[in-house]
Amino acid sequence: MDEAGGGFATVIGGLFAATLVFAWGYFDEVHAHFHVLMLVFMAGMIGFCLTHDVFNTFVWFEVMSVAAFALTGYELKADPLQGALNFTVVNSVGSYLLLDGIGLLYAVGGALDMGALGAAVARAPADPVVAAAFVLMAYGLLIKSAQVPFHFWLPDAHAVAPSPVSVMFSGAMVALGIFGLARISFTVFAASTAVMQVIRTLLLGLGVASALVGAAMALLQRHLKRLLAFSTVAHTGVLLIGLELLSPGGASGMLLYMAGHGLVKGALFMVAGILLSVCGGIDEIALRGQGARAWPAGVAMAAGGLLLAGLPAGLMDGGFGRIADAAAAGGQRWLWLPLVAGAAGTGAAVLRAAGRIFLGWGPVPCGEDRSLTDQEQEKNDRPLWLMLLPALALLAGSCVETAGAGRLATSAAAAFMPPGAAAGPAFPQPGAPVIVLAWLSVVLALLLAAWQLSRQRLPGPLNRSAQRVLGPPGAGLDFLHSGAVGDYIAWVVVGLALFTAAFGLG
Amino acid sequence: MSLLPSLLPWAVAAWLLGVGLYGIVTSRNFVHLIGCLSVVQSSTYVLLLSVGFRTGGIAPIFYTHPPGTPAVDPMVHALVLTDVVVGATVTALLLALILQLHKRRGTVDPEALRPMQP
Repeated sequence: MDEAGGGFATVIGGLFAATLVFAWGYFDEVHAHFHVLMLVFMAGMIGFCLTHDVFNTFVWFEVMSVAAFALTGYELKADPLQGALNFTVVNSVGSYLLLDGIGLLYAVGGALDMGALGAAVARAPADPVVAAAFVLMAYGLLIKSAQVPFHFWLPDAHAVAPSPVSVMFSGAMVALGIFGLARISFTVFAASTAVMQVIRTLLLGLGVASALVGAAMALLQRHLKRLLAFSTVAHTGVLLIGLELLSPGGASGMLLYMAGHGLVKGALFMVAGILLSVCGGIDEIALRGQGARAWPAGVAMAAGGLLLAGLPAGLMDGGFGRIADAAAAGGQRWLWLPLVAGAAGTGAAVLRAAGRIFLGWGPVPCGEDRSLTDQEQEKNDRPLWLMLLPALALLAGSCVETAGAGRLATSAAAAFMPPGAAAGPAFPQPGAPVIVLAWLSVVLALLLAAWQLSRQRLPGPLNRSAQRVLGPPGAGLDFLHSGAVGDYIAWVVVGLALFTAAFGLG
Repeated sequence: MSLLPSLLPWAVAAWLLGVGLYGIVTSRNFVHLIGCLSVVQSSTYVLLLSVGFRTGGIAPIFYTHPPGTPAVDPMVHALVLTDVVVGATVTALLLALILQLHKRRGTVDPEALRPMQP
């Protein structure tokens, strides 16, 4: 067991403990199978963190996925069932591609242990079968981690799953796709220059696209859980950027960000669950000003929004700083743009929703009124403090003193990376420009949220011209998120062509 | 000539993957779509079995053969067996989901079953 796997397994365990407290009394009749499914789900995720065997990777991936499919449709209502179907079909295709890749890797290396396979790849680094194996394995994991353009299943599933389940989906399951991708990239494929080149170009592009598309779509949502789901897409894009840097600094930043994001996003989904229960709705526009009864939840939501935006405190900021530093050290300072855009956009969306729901600001919607919503409701007989306590615990957990966590991430990343790959600059302390970057991102998020909430005070022509500029791209993005599973699989095929082209050209 | 038998299983696996994905993209019936998903999965069976195949190898049971007799690789058989179990689970779950959904929406057309859309 290595520190990276053990560390993230600990985060998952903590998230589960908080979630099960949050889910106390969630269902009128708790049939035992909710808890059984949750525990199987946890076992799958922890096994996935700890394993060093490619086939066990597949088995744990499937254990986790099947439990997740069943939990999504647990309530047996129409919307959750539809979301679960899309989720199941897209993720199953991903897992079969993953297994195809494992088969090819076994054909090359004759082993299933990651270390032995890494040695086999080092003996034949230019073998096209190695490249094909990487494409297929990366595919399954990219679908799981919801990178653009394979992210379509995620908002469908996360928006309709029961709130405690959404906490685990966004907090841990999606990040595990990136974790698995990092594990196979660093341990198995590190010796193949063609694969590393594709990671630096194509995966970088996917990460940047995810950060930007996720942030834009989050700003366009009115359904709070769907908004949070798109913000998860943006943050997994940031994680993929950290992975793509292929340096110890980037990897340690990715691990820190993964833990911090899991805790903060978990807390935000719990706040969404509180709104569903106390206010009887999840639609931001319908709930305008209705949240005053549950004002402590509003404080938690605002804190979560600021942390997503990059407030210089806690694990997320530590990871953000390291990724930004590693990007600068690798001569890719332009990556600061998608990093800041992803953080500021998602933070702004959460802050806007918090301002509208809890303070009653923002009577004039700006585009988000056209997005999907539904009349979901959860039963309201649980005390507020019982639901709020785990959310606050997660937020506090994400703000722990980061020096110790940073040291752990540093040594975990060193063990995670292959020996000899640590050619880049070691572990720079977050420099002054990165602190400025974090504050810049927070200020941007606040400005964006303020602009969206105060549209009624702005002059009409300004609003209309903003609508003319921003309307069509937003409508185009909405159109792409069609909800039909056939379209999603068509995107998977398009991605397959992209990967083939990247290897052909590179 | 000798190349053909060694390439055939790979081509079959790629073909199964391709037609399965095509079927999922174009399907207008979820039960049919689940069948297409099984076709995609069949490509993993063929691929794994062809990885472990040895020309002239026996089944890896050495009761009546001396140790050292060339045999096909039993490892991939274990993988395929696990894969079959996974496939059965996923198919059963999907069929259960679509059955429940049909009771509520009265249709099994993926185009008509879009989450959160009226």
